[in-house]
Amino acid sequence: MGSARGVMRVAGGLAVAVSLLIPLVGTRDLVTATFFTGLYIVLALNYDILGGFLGYMTLGQGAFFGVAAYVTVLLLNSARLDALGRADMLVAALVAVAATALMAFGFAYPLFRLSGAYFAIATFAMVLLIRHFILNLPDLTGGSYGVYVNPRHYLSLTVAYYLGLGLLLASAWLNHAIAGSRLGLAVAAIRESELAASTIGLDLFRVKRRVLVLSAIPSALAGAVFGLQAGYIDVDAALGVDKTLLPVIMALMGGSGRVAGPVVGGLVVRGIDVTLKNYLHLTVPALAIYGLILLTIGLLMPEGVLNVAVRRRRLAARSV
Amino acid sequence: MTFQTLLDLVLGGVSLGGIYALVAFTLSLSLATTHVLNVAHGTFMVLGAALATLLFRVTPVSWPVAVLALLAGFALLGLFFEAAFVRPFAAKSPQQILVGSILVTFGFALAVEALLGYYWARLVDPQPSFSLTFPRARVTLLGLAFSGTRLTILVVAAAAITAFHLLLRSTPLGRAVRALSQNYVGAVILGVNPRLVSLTIYLTGIAATAAAGALLALAIPLEPYSGLRLTLVAMTIVVIGGVGSLPGALLGGGLLGMAEVLTAYVLGSVWSPVVSLLVFFSVLVVRPEGLWGRRAA
Repeated sequence: MGSARGVMRVAGGLAVAVSLLIPLVGTRDLVTATFFTGLYIVLALNYDILGGFLGYMTLGQGAFFGVAAYVTVLLLNSARLDALGRADMLVAALVAVAATALMAFGFAYPLFRLSGAYFAIATFAMVLLIRHFILNLPDLTGGSYGVYVNPRHYLSLTVAYYLGLGLLLASAWLNHAIAGSRLGLAVAAIRESELAASTIGLDLFRVKRRVLVLSAIPSALAGAVFGLQAGYIDVDAALGVDKTLLPVIMALMGGSGRVAGPVVGGLVVRGIDVTLKNYLHLTVPALAIYGLILLTIGLLMPEGVLNVAVRRRRLAARSV
Repeated sequence: MTFQTLLDLVLGGVSLGGIYALVAFTLSLSLATTHVLNVAHGTFMVLGAALATLLFRVTPVSWPVAVLALLAGFALLGLFFEAAFVRPFAAKSPQQILVGSILVTFGFALAVEALLGYYWARLVDPQPSFSLTFPRARVTLLGLAFSGTRLTILVVAAAAITAFHLLLRSTPLGRAVRALSQNYVGAVILGVNPRLVSLTIYLTGIAATAAAGALLALAIPLEPYSGLRLTLVAMTIVVIGGVGSLPGALLGGGLLGMAEVLTAYVLGSVWSPVVSLLVFFSVLVVRPEGLWGRRAA
């Protein structure tokens, strides 16, 4: 066990070192692909706070990403922050994060009336609701045409890349910190048995609401960075099904409930994705492939690939 | 608002409600007996609409042949779906059924909708849209002019719902379905065969759902990606009406159907999908156990 942790540390350190070097030596395509992989891993790590730690599978992680991207871009485009000078982008991102956290706080009330499959579907309903509002209010949001970012506010790929990498490390740290905290104990207690957790005096709803808001914050920052780097957003870019589905696939693929899981799963899934699209030039739509991956995981190993491997190894060790 | 407009709105709402009630009821039957939440439910409506469009518009077949082909095809597809994606969860724990069945049915829905959209655009029509037209625009009854399309939808949906009601109330199989949804272990101990029940539910349920999709295509054009939204509509009605309750499904379906039609009339049709989602969240806040409580049919 100790040596396994040592290997993980070395691997993690190497991965960080390599990712720091990529913008210096890589092609623009590689930097872009790695940047997006990083954003997806942030979402997967945030997803796992709910899906893995709390045991509430959510299909709505992309909602926080998309809403923050829209709020940031629309706020900057409205010229209301112009008086702030160069600080306007930072302030816009912070306002977007605050708005998204508030939205997560509000949605906690209907969402946590449910659990299990119903919760998962309701989180997806949240994404659809937001999409419809954005599409139906074209005067405010650009509707189906999307919105362009004023070139003044573009974030260069290199800056966005390092911001994304920082967010990834912060998200990994957040998951690690939650797992070892008092809140993490409460979350684990709820996952194992809500009844038992309520009998020891935990306020279940407050714990769940806090966890939802916490998980929304890094996703929102990722959305703000994405919006300013992309230069253009519409509902499919900011609130597409992939933003809500890939985090789940990644966390389950790598092993839900452990910090390394979403990171490993994210690298694997994005590796498959980029290979299929950029190198094999597959014409079948990406969503069909994600769907088939999801279906296969569900049939073969709903606990996640890494977890199955770990369990097999433990069983083997025990039987020796 | 003229009397004719009012009549059209009410008939529109009630007929839409009939379709919604039918698909919500078939969704909740699956949930009550197998504990599998079929996220691909709405996808089968889209597939039904797509096949109907193909049969009626592209190939020259008479309508009874088309209807039979549609029902038989989807009954077979239902059997396949049950065997491939529902049966594997029969012996699992509730948590595994929940996570596994969502992943599998959601994955199935995405893959099917993406492939349908992609190949329909390449082979049939670059702008995929599934719609049917009914030959008689206006039907005059008792001196009142009704929309022929809406009247057909209402009659067919009501007949299908009545058939389901009779199946559940008056046949041994229906008793088995109700016993399983009330107390799974008890029913199995008393000799109910859950495999047979689940196969029947999917055979009849998927055929009825696909037919409902074809009916809906008479009124509203469907798109390849409409499926997940339609699943949510059905789920909203299940949340309002309770799992396995036919009166609940009728009430919820009627409410949502009327609400969507009125919203489309007052605010424009782009807002009607928002209604079911808002109703969904409002019901959760106000009455999480559904209007009819947790009682099963």
